[in-house]
Amino acid sequence: MKDLIDGNEAAAWGARLCRVRVVPNFPITPQTEIIEKLAEWREKGLWKGEFLPMDSEHSVLSAAIASEAAGARTFTASSSQGLLLMTEMHYVASGMRLPLVMVNCSRGLAAPITLWPDNNDFLSLRDSGWLMFFAQNNQEVLDLVISAYRISEHREVLLPSIVNMEGFILSYTREIAEIPGQEEVDSFLPEYAPRVVLDPERPMSLGIPSLHEYMYFRSQVHAAQRNALKVSERVFAEFEKTFGRKYRCVEDYRTEDAELVFVCAGALSTTIKAAVNALREEGVKAGMARIVTFRPFPENRLREILEGKEKIVVVDNSLSPGRGGIIHSEVSSIADCAGVVVSLGGKHIGRDDFVKIGKKADKKGRYWYF
Amino acid sequence: MKIRLHGRGGQGVKTAARIIGRAFFLSGYNVQDFAMYGAERRGAPVTSFVRASRGEILERGYIFSPDLVVLFDDTLNFDVVKKGLKGEFLVNTSQKIPGAKTVDATKIAMEIFGAPIVNTGMCGAVAKVLEIDLSLMERAIEIELKSLGIRDVGKNLEAARECWKRVS
Repeated sequence: MKDLIDGNEAAAWGARLCRVRVVPNFPITPQTEIIEKLAEWREKGLWKGEFLPMDSEHSVLSAAIASEAAGARTFTASSSQGLLLMTEMHYVASGMRLPLVMVNCSRGLAAPITLWPDNNDFLSLRDSGWLMFFAQNNQEVLDLVISAYRISEHREVLLPSIVNMEGFILSYTREIAEIPGQEEVDSFLPEYAPRVVLDPERPMSLGIPSLHEYMYFRSQVHAAQRNALKVSERVFAEFEKTFGRKYRCVEDYRTEDAELVFVCAGALSTTIKAAVNALREEGVKAGMARIVTFRPFPENRLREILEGKEKIVVVDNSLSPGRGGIIHSEVSSIADCAGVVVSLGGKHIGRDDFVKIGKKADKKGRYWYF
Repeated sequence: MKIRLHGRGGQGVKTAARIIGRAFFLSGYNVQDFAMYGAERRGAPVTSFVRASRGEILERGYIFSPDLVVLFDDTLNFDVVKKGLKGEFLVNTSQKIPGAKTVDATKIAMEIFGAPIVNTGMCGAVAKVLEIDLSLMERAIEIELKSLGIRDVGKNLEAARECWKRVS
């Protein structure tokens, strides 16, 4: 069914169609409507799960970890300061290898306070062990939530996932999205069947203290992340077969003969596509590589796309002060690239701005802010 | 097609964008609708946006060069709300404004609701200006208001029809 929905409703649909059983929650703009939608559906009997309002985001993720460990498919969502308050527990979830899924509506971090998006909140989880997906539109929010459960719950992965959408830019913007039927999703995502479950009848401990074993366990998280790259491509291929929409760890747009390639992630990508098209009309061979899975980092695929390209510009909607754009740092490890930091706190950037940036990109490795 | 709506908090400027977006969706267009958020409150100037296209919509964010500006409250600064306007200017007002299409949606709302509920009326006026089938706009009003929990939409449809007739 096609409908006109915003990113928050798309996320709620993802959770509902995945038949999540527990949703611990705490409100924060611009994410609250995800939770409100699930509450509304629960009232109407359209979604049957446990709705657990908690006293803080830290408690939300603690409860999510507990319910996932008890064998219930679990979902939650947060944003900005709320996501940061959870972060202590993010490491627990990945270390305990619990395949829960959450959505972040990215929002700039205080101070000063902003309600509008940038990706510093999301990217603060870079080293947490979570699988991290960037959606570029509302359809992808929905589709990536569904895919994330499949990837996370895969026995070669068993790691939590977080799907990011830019607050406002996606969360409060309505677009047309295809909402798949329940039977279709059921055929794609089987019931969650964990092999290890917390059970009062058979007591055991999870996440216990360790001495020298610690490094082994964390290295296992790394190994699982590397597995997730292959698993993601397989799951995306199967997703395409079931739902007809194609995803890859990196989307390449008109890159084949491109001399100038923008590397980006998230909702800015569609504006950059428009800029690529405009540049092409002016005779500049431009293209775009969009990172969908930020963790695991799709190194080989990116390297393939960027190999031999004259000019590479990494567009970041994040800033590591003293270094630059966060994704720029990552891409720098595989190619010489320039970087621009744009749209912090949702500052408007349009197609023509990216056209200008594209034209200014005259040297490799040059770094400037916009 | 890029539309920018201006009004004051409480006038239903955001809902109007959703209704117009829905009408385009029902007509088979690709649509993007959203509102400008910050610390909006009753009486403060608010803005909302609709993009509609037969093709894929790639651009996001604020609309700087709209094809239509719709103004719900004629006490707002015209120079500000008309900034970048490339097409029609539609205003809710009792005055005549050179170069603008006008409709007294507030008066019509007072007649129908006994309260200044102008957004659904203005959607009717938008249908007239953009030559969107009025019955599609009515259907859009019904869908969007029902999604807000408003069951009886009859007066809103009446306001839309009345404004549709009286745009000049």
